[in-house]
Amino acid sequence: MLDALWIVLLGMAIIFTVLGMLLGMMILLNKFLKPTKEE
Amino acid sequence: MDISLADFLGFLNLNWQIITMLAVGGLLIYLGTARNVEPVLLIPIGTGILLANIPLGGMVDEGGLFAVLRKAGIETELFPLLIFIGIGAMIDFGPFLERPYTILLGAAAQFGIFGTFFLAYLLGDGWLHIMNFSLKDAASIGIIGSADGPTSIYVSSVLGSQYAAAIVVAAYSYMALVPIIQPPIMKWLTTKEERRLEMPTEAKAVSQRTKIIFPIATIIVVGLIAPKATPLIGCLMFGNLLREVGVVDRLSATAQEELADIVTILLGLTVGGMMIASEFLQSETILIFIIGIIAFALDTAAGVIFGKIMYLLSGRKINPLIGAAGISAFPMSARVVQKMGLQENPHNHLLMHAAGANTAGQIASVVAGGAMLMLVPLFS
Repeated sequence: MLDALWIVLLGMAIIFTVLGMLLGMMILLNKFLKPTKEE
Repeated sequence: MDISLADFLGFLNLNWQIITMLAVGGLLIYLGTARNVEPVLLIPIGTGILLANIPLGGMVDEGGLFAVLRKAGIETELFPLLIFIGIGAMIDFGPFLERPYTILLGAAAQFGIFGTFFLAYLLGDGWLHIMNFSLKDAASIGIIGSADGPTSIYVSSVLGSQYAAAIVVAAYSYMALVPIIQPPIMKWLTTKEERRLEMPTEAKAVSQRTKIIFPIATIIVVGLIAPKATPLIGCLMFGNLLREVGVVDRLSATAQEELADIVTILLGLTVGGMMIASEFLQSETILIFIIGIIAFALDTAAGVIFGKIMYLLSGRKINPLIGAAGISAFPMSARVVQKMGLQENPHNHLLMHAAGANTAGQIASVVAGGAMLMLVPLFS
């Protein structure tokens, strides 16, 4: 049962880590790559 | 020569289990045709069930069509991956890229996967031993909460769960039932004041370069941290890259239409073909369907609760309802959020925010599937 609890905790930690990094990446992309005039 | 009529007359081999499965197949075809419930999926699945359960039909026997398709498309994980190329080509990540914060709602809503996994394991080998659920079976059952058919097929087949057919059918069935499952939970967890909160419909435009870099960067980030998710996220983002680069419109159109349609037909028939009476009609199947609805409920609740946290932290600028769209049932849950927002306040258009959370949920559910594939073998 403890194993399953570890999987839950680590699983959610992995999700938030990966998506947190994607969030940071998106913020940077939006900051540095502004739409061109045509866009 | 000793020949029995039952050796070549199918109807002499009927029993209550086969008749039940034929009725289930007929019901799915009826729901798809007459009620327009997920017809693209339910008609092939329903037909697959009918064909697989015709006694002496041989469709699921060694060398039969369904046996070949199962080996070629499910056991190799080919079909879900090809479907993901099509899905990636269909998804517009624009609303999500314009509102990056929605990615956190997609992450939170994946709690349904892990909460359900924990519950299934407690009912099985983890504690109560009511059911014959191993750690791998529990993980496969939990993945129903990804609200995503291809991810459910992929994870349950990689983990080698014996309940793969029930898991996949539960995932697809509940995706169709999202408009019924989600609203009561959303209402229960939010106040009228929260549901009425208006959010701006306009957002900062995103450059085309961002839309092109995003799928490539996502493959790299997800692949390096959760490598087991690489096949799924790779195919999803490859499809999206075809859509966004703007120089391979023919490939993008093929991925969205011909490829997705062909694989949907094959996948639907194969999933239906996995629902053989003797294997499918077990007490475990019924329990998997009950646990499956809990997975969707937990997803919704976790998304809305995280939405409430963001509502408070943002100074009451984020409507918590959009958290419900963090599950990846695309685009049904975004529509549910939009509808409920409008019911409370006719000027409250939440669709684009919910669509952002919805596409974030698509990515998050793939990462969750990869995390499950990473972690379960470590603890098995």
